[in-house]
Amino acid sequence: MLKIPPGEIKETAYRIRRRLIDLTFRAGSGHLDTSLSLVEVWLALVYSDFFRFDPRDGAWEGRDRIFLSEGHACPLQYLVNAELGYFSVEEVFAGNRRPNTPFQGHTKRDLTYGLENSNGSLGIGLWQAYGHALEVERYVFCICGDGEFQEPAALGLLAAPHYLKPAPNFILIINHNKLAQDAAVDLGPLDEVARLYRWHTERVDGHDLDALSQAYHRAVEETSLPSLILCDTVKGKGGDPAWEGRLGRHGRPPKTDEEYRAYVDGLDISRGV
Amino acid sequence: MEAGGRYRDLRVLDAGTKNSTMSGKFADAYPDRFFTPGINEPGMIGIATGMAMAGRRVVACDMAVFLHHAYAHIRAAARQGDIHLVIAASHTGIAVGPDGGSAHDITDLARMRLVPGFKVLTPWDGRQVKKAVEKVLAEPGRYYLRLNRPPVPVFLSEDFRFEIGKAYRLREGDGVTLVACGDKVFTALQAAERLGEGVAEVIGVATMEPLDTATIIASAARTGRVVTVEDHMFVGGLFEAVAGLMAQTRPTPMRRVSLERTFTTSGQPDELARIYAVDMQAVVETCRKFLDET
Repeated sequence: MLKIPPGEIKETAYRIRRRLIDLTFRAGSGHLDTSLSLVEVWLALVYSDFFRFDPRDGAWEGRDRIFLSEGHACPLQYLVNAELGYFSVEEVFAGNRRPNTPFQGHTKRDLTYGLENSNGSLGIGLWQAYGHALEVERYVFCICGDGEFQEPAALGLLAAPHYLKPAPNFILIINHNKLAQDAAVDLGPLDEVARLYRWHTERVDGHDLDALSQAYHRAVEETSLPSLILCDTVKGKGGDPAWEGRLGRHGRPPKTDEEYRAYVDGLDISRGV
Repeated sequence: MEAGGRYRDLRVLDAGTKNSTMSGKFADAYPDRFFTPGINEPGMIGIATGMAMAGRRVVACDMAVFLHHAYAHIRAAARQGDIHLVIAASHTGIAVGPDGGSAHDITDLARMRLVPGFKVLTPWDGRQVKKAVEKVLAEPGRYYLRLNRPPVPVFLSEDFRFEIGKAYRLREGDGVTLVACGDKVFTALQAAERLGEGVAEVIGVATMEPLDTATIIASAARTGRVVTVEDHMFVGGLFEAVAGLMAQTRPTPMRRVSLERTFTTSGQPDELARIYAVDMQAVVETCRKFLDET
């Protein structure tokens, strides 16, 4: 169950997408396309009724954790946390990708700001999240990219419950937008392999808030196995329709006024759909 | 073992070498607080980091050379900031012996000096290792502990004090300063003995990062000659650390007893120390030649 009606979350999604476009356009860099693909995945999680956090006490022991392993999606992380009240949107715009701010080009761990882990290089954060899950009572979610599973260390995590401990409070979310930086991503039998290694698996439409929330619920209700939720998403979702699900815009936000307009118009059109 | 009783939040991990690193002893005593993901160094460091991020006191053990696999994860650990994580690396240098070049980690100091936030410790003997372990468990921080494969001579007295970040003058002399780290401190002391009374001053370095610059500079100022001694490649190791320091503060002629930029061979530790000229005799000869030349 979602804490607030899906209609309201859709409005929030629109607002965040608009800010993502503005934020990355102003910075002239940043991974807009990846961030756009994850908006519903992230919002459905933080607005699920079981999810606990306190923006006034980011280090609260009773919080649920979100580790971001595909760190280039941090613009979204910043804007969602602003929405949740950790800090203001203005602070993000003023600090994004600037020297010595909390809003670095990839996340720098800062619990006060609700930023659970420093990240960047792929295939690492998910191991940290798993180790963390072995030590805390609450749920530990970890958001990974699909291309990230080409890293042997990421693929190897699927065997960890077998070699070590199942950690049923560990929930791995894969943003399957099918595109990496320079090529398409085919995950092959990833979820089948996960099941063989005794993971609870889900596959959902990563832009369907209800479906996502239900998948998260089934994952947190699972009491013996860790969960892997494969979210089918569209890279660049809700931006310039010409670049939705298309290779060539990884880490490359709109650069000209014309390109910017195409993203904003695309977003407005998709809002009406 | 004692630490396991003292610190309930202590976690120990190993990546498939617990009978080599001896972390298995902890595993037997505290099975609930010992973790291994199998032969998986990146996974071990990642899990250890995540546990430390949950506020635990974490020690990750492995044979040093295998930690090459985990370098990206070690760097990522350092970027988490204020966590308490100790990497205990055994089987360092050519002292590992017959297992050969693939098993000799002679670049670990260089690698770890490149990771900001990590303190790099090179204790000299079993007694100092024990003291170093006590310190790194008591004081939160990120540490790399360079350990040897036994047996290494135990030469320090029980009451020898040990502080992180401090180098110690172990013997006085005015001809040459010998700066040594790890088990080579014992080698340097033996060489100083051979060189005769008052010739070689010996500075023992148990902390490579941060280096105790004042102690080294003061000694170099007195003797005007510095020789470094290490079971490590000269690139990025003690020699370059001290040479860099001297270049910036007090240019002083230097020589080195260290390994070349090469892969090493199988052999007995003593035999290898002779072949690669990092034994006591090599230190003595290097110093004599240095004293003759300058």
